[in-house]
Amino acid sequence: MNNEMLRAPAEVKYAEELDWLESVDDGPKPFSWRLSPKMVRLFILGSERSDGLDREIPQKWFGDRSFVERSIVTLASDRGLLLIGDPGTGKSWLAELLSAAICRNSTLVVQGTAGTTEDHIKYSWNVSMVIAKGQSRESMIPSPIMTAMERGMIGRFEELTRSTSDVQDALISILSEKYVSIPELDTDNTVFARPGFSIIATANSRDRGVNDLSSALKRRFNFVRIPVVTNRTSEAEIVRFRTTELLRRHRIELDVPPTLLDVLLQSFADLRAAAASAASEDEKLESALSTAEQIGVLEDAILHSHFFGDRALRAETLGGALVGSLARRSPEDLAILNKYWHGVVEPRSRKDGGEWTGFLEGGRQAISTLS
Amino acid sequence: MSTFDALREQLLDAAEEFSGGGDALSGILSGMVDDVDRMLGEKLEIFPVCHHSPASALAMTRRLRDKRPKVVYLELCEDLQPLLSELRNCRLPVALQAFATRLDGFPAGSGPLSVVAPVTEASAEYQAIAYALDTPGVELVLVDRSVDHVFQWLPREPADAGTGTGTAPDGHASPGSPAPSGGAASPGGAVSPGGAASPGGEADDGQDEEAALHGDAVGVEIGDLRPGFAELEAYLLHHGKVRHWSEWWDQYVEQPLAGADHDTYRQAMALVGSLFRRLRPSSGDRLAVDEERERYMWARIREHLAASGADPAECLYVCGAFHAVSRVAEFGLDSGAPPYTVTPRTATQWLYGLIPSSHSAIEAQFGLAQGSVSIAAATWAKATARGGVTPYRLAGQQGGRAGSGRTGKAGKNGKAGTAGKPVAPEPAPDRLSGFLAAPPALDGLDEDELRGWCVDIVRLARRNGYLASTADAIAVFETSILLAGVRGRARPTPYDFADAAVTCIEKDAVPGRRDVRRLCEILLGGDRVGVVGYEALPPLARDVYDRLEPLGIDLGRRTQQRVLLDLTANPELRPCSDLLWMLRYLLPDDAVRPIMGARRLGERPIQESWDLAIGRHQRSIVELGYEGVTVEQVLEQRLRRKVRDPRATAGTALEAVEDAILYLGGGRFADELGARAVELLAAERTVDDAPEVLRRIRRLLAHYRATGPGLPAWCEAFVTAGYAHYCTLLPSAFADDTGVRQVGAMLGFLFSMEGLALSLGCDRTQLELAVRQSHPEAPAKVALLWAAETQLGLLSRDELRARCDGLLDNPLVVPAFPLYLSGFVQALDPVPGLAPFVVEALSKAFARLPDPVLLPWLPTLITTLRRNVPELVPVLVREAGRTFPGGLAELDGWTPPWERPAAPARAVRAAPAPSGPVTGLLARHPAACDAVAGLLGCPADWPERPAGGVPDAGEERVRALLGRYPATAGAVAALLGG
Repeated sequence: MNNEMLRAPAEVKYAEELDWLESVDDGPKPFSWRLSPKMVRLFILGSERSDGLDREIPQKWFGDRSFVERSIVTLASDRGLLLIGDPGTGKSWLAELLSAAICRNSTLVVQGTAGTTEDHIKYSWNVSMVIAKGQSRESMIPSPIMTAMERGMIGRFEELTRSTSDVQDALISILSEKYVSIPELDTDNTVFARPGFSIIATANSRDRGVNDLSSALKRRFNFVRIPVVTNRTSEAEIVRFRTTELLRRHRIELDVPPTLLDVLLQSFADLRAAAASAASEDEKLESALSTAEQIGVLEDAILHSHFFGDRALRAETLGGALVGSLARRSPEDLAILNKYWHGVVEPRSRKDGGEWTGFLEGGRQAISTLS
Repeated sequence: MSTFDALREQLLDAAEEFSGGGDALSGILSGMVDDVDRMLGEKLEIFPVCHHSPASALAMTRRLRDKRPKVVYLELCEDLQPLLSELRNCRLPVALQAFATRLDGFPAGSGPLSVVAPVTEASAEYQAIAYALDTPGVELVLVDRSVDHVFQWLPREPADAGTGTGTAPDGHASPGSPAPSGGAASPGGAVSPGGAASPGGEADDGQDEEAALHGDAVGVEIGDLRPGFAELEAYLLHHGKVRHWSEWWDQYVEQPLAGADHDTYRQAMALVGSLFRRLRPSSGDRLAVDEERERYMWARIREHLAASGADPAECLYVCGAFHAVSRVAEFGLDSGAPPYTVTPRTATQWLYGLIPSSHSAIEAQFGLAQGSVSIAAATWAKATARGGVTPYRLAGQQGGRAGSGRTGKAGKNGKAGTAGKPVAPEPAPDRLSGFLAAPPALDGLDEDELRGWCVDIVRLARRNGYLASTADAIAVFETSILLAGVRGRARPTPYDFADAAVTCIEKDAVPGRRDVRRLCEILLGGDRVGVVGYEALPPLARDVYDRLEPLGIDLGRRTQQRVLLDLTANPELRPCSDLLWMLRYLLPDDAVRPIMGARRLGERPIQESWDLAIGRHQRSIVELGYEGVTVEQVLEQRLRRKVRDPRATAGTALEAVEDAILYLGGGRFADELGARAVELLAAERTVDDAPEVLRRIRRLLAHYRATGPGLPAWCEAFVTAGYAHYCTLLPSAFADDTGVRQVGAMLGFLFSMEGLALSLGCDRTQLELAVRQSHPEAPAKVALLWAAETQLGLLSRDELRARCDGLLDNPLVVPAFPLYLSGFVQALDPVPGLAPFVVEALSKAFARLPDPVLLPWLPTLITTLRRNVPELVPVLVREAGRTFPGGLAELDGWTPPWERPAAPARAVRAAPAPSGPVTGLLARHPAACDAVAGLLGCPADWPERPAGGVPDAGEERVRALLGRYPATAGAVAALLGG
C-alpha cells in the first residue's frame, strides 16, 4: 500500500519501526497508548547509543526536546494540545508523528477553514439513508473527532484559528465532558470518549486576531509554542531530511551539494535578520522565512533542474527559485529582494566567489524578469 | 597500595572494553583517579568547592564544624581581604569590587578597570569567611593573585578587556550556542566579562536592570566548574536530557552530593574537577593562566606557613575543584619545585569597595541559566531549615533569616570543640566507587512542596493577568510529575515544574509584564538584590546619605520615591536641593530625576519635586566614591577634566563655567574654568561652535552683571579675545564652507559685544576692515554681509532695498532669492535693527516669488526658525505684528509701509533748546559754534528766536504755577540756605 500512495501517513511510513518499538517497549503506557511516553519521544527525536536499543531510530522532527516532552505529557493529561507557531515550523508534522506513535492513526483530521461547520466536528447525516430508514446510528456520519472519541485515539484539528469562533467552541464540551450527545436519536444517543482520546490542534500565530480562541477553549488546551528554527545545524539537518524524502517521493536522483545548502541557509538567515530589524510590515518579506519555506525553495530548484536543467542542481537555479518563491507582493517583496541582492549577495560573491557568483546571477535574472 | 586501586582497575577494564585500551581514554580515566588520590594525599587539607553550590556550602559548614581549622586559605584575590569584614554590614548578595581609573602599566584607553567578586549567602566561601572572621584565633588568608594580576594576565591583544566586549575571558558558552572551542569556558578560572548574555533571554525590563548591577566589570569567582569546551558541554546536556548547564549540575552533582559525607563529597568534587581539567583544550591561554594562579596560590600558602609557623594539619585550603587537582609542579607543601616568584604589580592605583549585587547579575556575569542562583539560594534555605547543619553567619549580618544569635552560640561551641579535638588525618576510604556505581539516591517526591508551588504559581499568574484557575494548579501538578517521568526523574525538579507551568498556563499571549517562566523564577526564590550597609559605604556615599536625611525618605529602598521640596517654606532643604542637582549631574539619568523645577542661571527655585531611586543606583554612588571624598570634589574634578580634555572647545568650557556657577556657586573655580575658556577660544581655528559660544557668553554676562559688582577678569578677556578672534576669522568664514548660522553667530558676537569690547580697548577698525575684506559667494552669506554693512553704516537701508528689488526683478536670480532670504533671517540676531527690512523682504518674497521657487524653500525656513527659536523668532514676530494690521477689517485699506508714498520731507525741527544762561550766551556769541559747525561740515543754522527772548508756552505755564504757589519754592530756597 505504501508504494501506491503519493504521501503515506507517518504510521504507514514508519509502520515497521513502530511495530519494533512496540515490541521492545516495557515502560508504563497511559490509557490505550500503543507506546510509552519515553518511546514516543524516542520515535520522534530518534535514538542514541545510550538508549541501549538494538537498532537505530532516525530523528524525524527537529527542535527542542522540551517541546516534544511537553506535548507528550499534555496528551497524557486531561487537556488538549495546541501547537502554535509561524507557518512552516513543523507543527502539523509533529502532530502527525505524535498521533502515529500514540495510536497508530494520524488521519483523523479536521481541517479548519472559514467554511468548517459544527457538523465537521461532531457528526452529520447521510441524507438519503435518513429518508429511507430514518435517523439512526447507521445513517449518522461521525466526524473524525467523533471517530477518535469512539476509538480512544488522537483526533487532529488543523488550523484551528481559521474556523469561526462558534465552531471552535463546539470543542469545549468535547474536551471537558468527553462525550457528544446526539439529540436526534432516542436511544444510544451519547457517544462517550474512550480512554486515550485527546485532540492535537495546530494554530498559526500569523492568524492571531482573525478568530481568537475563547478563554473557555484556551483553558482546555495546553499551548506549546514552536519557534522558527534558527540554529544553523539543526536547520541544515531538517532541510536535508525533508529534501531526501521529497527526492525519494519524486524518484529523482540528484545530489544537493553542501555548499549550495550553505548558501541557502545563509541567505535565509540574512533575510530573517533583515526582517527582524525592519521597522514596518512593508520592509519585511511577506513570507515567514520558515524552514518549510527553505525546503520549498530547494524543492523548486531541484524539480526545475531535474526537468528543465541538466540534472544537476546549480546555484543559478537556486537563486531563481529563491526569488520566485519569496517575491509574493510586487513591488514590496521585489524591492526587498533587490536590495538584498545588491547589498549582500553581490559583495559576498565578490569576496567569497564560489557558489555565490552563480546565485547572484540567477537571482538577478529572476528579479529582472519579475519586475 | 592506593585506596583507589580497585576503582582504577575497574576503569581501565572499562576503557579496554570500549576502545581497546592503551589509548587516551584509559589515560584519562586512570589519570582522574590519580588526581583524586594525589589531592587526598596532600598534607594540607584541600577542600574543593563549586560556586553557588548549596552542596558545597553544606559540606563546607560540616567540615568547618568538625575540623575547626586555625587557618583558612581561600582562593580569592588577596588584596580584597580588607573588604571582607565589611560584609557584615551588608545584605547579601553584594560584590567586592576593585576599581582603577588611574592606570599605569596597562594600555591607555583600557580603563576604567573594574573587578567584582560577588558573594552570596549560599556559598562555601561565605561559610569559610563567616567562620574565620567570627571565630577567635582563626586566620583567614586570601591567596589568589591580586586584581592587578587579573588584568596583567589577561591576554592582551584584544585591546580593551575592561569593557567586556567579548574580549579575552569570554567565560562561558551559553548552552546551545556553539562557541569556538578555544575560549569556550573557564573552569576554575572564573573570569567573566560583565554583560554576558544570559541564556534564555526572556528578561523583562526590571530584570535587565538588576542583571546590569555589575556594570561592565570583570567578574572573579571561586570554584567555577564547567566543561572545557562547548562540545563536551553539549554532549553532557544532551545525554543528561537537560537544557542547560545549571540544570545538569543540579541533577548530577548537586543533588547527589547534598547529603553526602565529607569523604564522598571531596572525592566526587575532585573527580569532577579532574574530568574537566583533563578534557580541555591544552592549547588555550586559559589553562596557562589557571596554572599560573595555582603556582601563585601555593607560593602564598607556603610563605604564610613559613611565616606563621602554623601546623598544616590545622589549616584548610578552600579552592575550586578545578584547582584542587592541579598538576603544576608547585602543587603540595612537599613539592620540590623551585620557589615561584610573584611578578610585581603595576603602579595602577586600585580602590576597593562593596557594591550591591543580585542573583540575576551573577547569572548574567557568569553565563548561568536564568534563575539558577535563586534556585540554589532556595535549596540552601531549604537544606538549612531542614536542620542537621547550622550555617555560619557573620555577626550582625543584615537581611536573610535572623540567625546571628545562633551563630554566635555556634561560634562558642566551636571554640570549645577546637581545644579538645585536633583532627588526625586518616587515609580516606574509597567513596568514589560507590558514588560512581550507584545511581544518585534522590529525595522522594516532596508532594507538599510541589503542591505549594502549583497553588502559588496559579495565584501569582492570576495576579499578573493570566486567566489561571485551580484547574490549572491541578494540571501543573500532574504535568510536572509526568514530565519528570518522561525525563527519567523520580521527582520533578524546579526546572520540570517551570516547564509544566509554562505548558499549562502560558497561552498565546503574555497579558502582563512577566511571562510564566519569569513568574516561576520569582516563585522559586526570586531575584534577590543586595544592599551595601551604611558602614561599608565609602565616605562620599555616606556623606550623600547624611545630607539627604532631611528629606525624610528611606534611601535604601529600591523603589522610586517622590519628594517635594518647598524651598520657601523650608529653606533648610536648600542644601538638599543643591546636592540633588549635583547628583543629577553625576549619576545615571534615572537615579535622581527632577519632575518639577529647573536650575538655570538667574532663576531661584521656589518648589522642586524629585523622583529618587538612590537605592537602586547604589553601585553608581559607591563608584562615585572612588573618585573623591565629597560630591563637590568629584564634580569639580569632572568639570576640570572636561575643560582639559583634548577635544574641549570654548563652548564646552563655557558650559563647564555655567555648571560650576549652578552647582558649586561659581567663585574662584568658575574663574579658573573661564580662563581656560579664553585659552580654548584663542586656540580655536574653526567657528563651528560660535552659536553655542554666543548663547552661553551672553547668558554668563547677564548673570555676572545681575549678581556682581563687575565682570570677572576672564569675562573681559573672553570678550576682547573673542572680538579679535572672530574679526580675524570673519573673512575666511564668509568665503569658505562655514555655515550661515555660524557666521551669523560670529556677527552676533561682534555686534552685541561691541560696546563692551570697545570699552576694553578693542578697535572698531578691525571689524570694519574684516567686513570690507569679506567677499562671500554663497547668496545667504552675501545677504548676511549686506546686513553687516548696513549695521556698520557702510550701506544704507535704501541701497539695501534697491539691491533686493533688483534681485527680484532679475529672472535669472529669482530662483536663488530664497537663499538670500535665509541669510537675512539669520541676520535678525546680529542686526536686530534690520527686522523691519527682513519682514519687508519676506513679504515681497511671498508676494512675488513663483510657487515652484517659494514652496520648496518654506520647509527650510520653518526648520531654520524652529532650530533657533530663542534668537530669531521673537524679533521676527514682534516686527511682523507691528507691520501687519491686527484685524481683518483693517486689511482692506492697508498698504504695506514700504509701498506707501514717501512722506514729504518734513522740515527738520531741532529740539527746542532749553532756555537758560548757556543758551543765552551761545545765542549772543554764535561765532564759536559756527566755526565748529564749519569744521564738522554742518550748516550753521540758528533757529529763529524772537527778539527779546519770548519764553515758550511751557515755560510760561511753569512760571504762572510757581507764581500762584510760592510756598514750595520758598521752602526749597530756605532749605538751600538761600
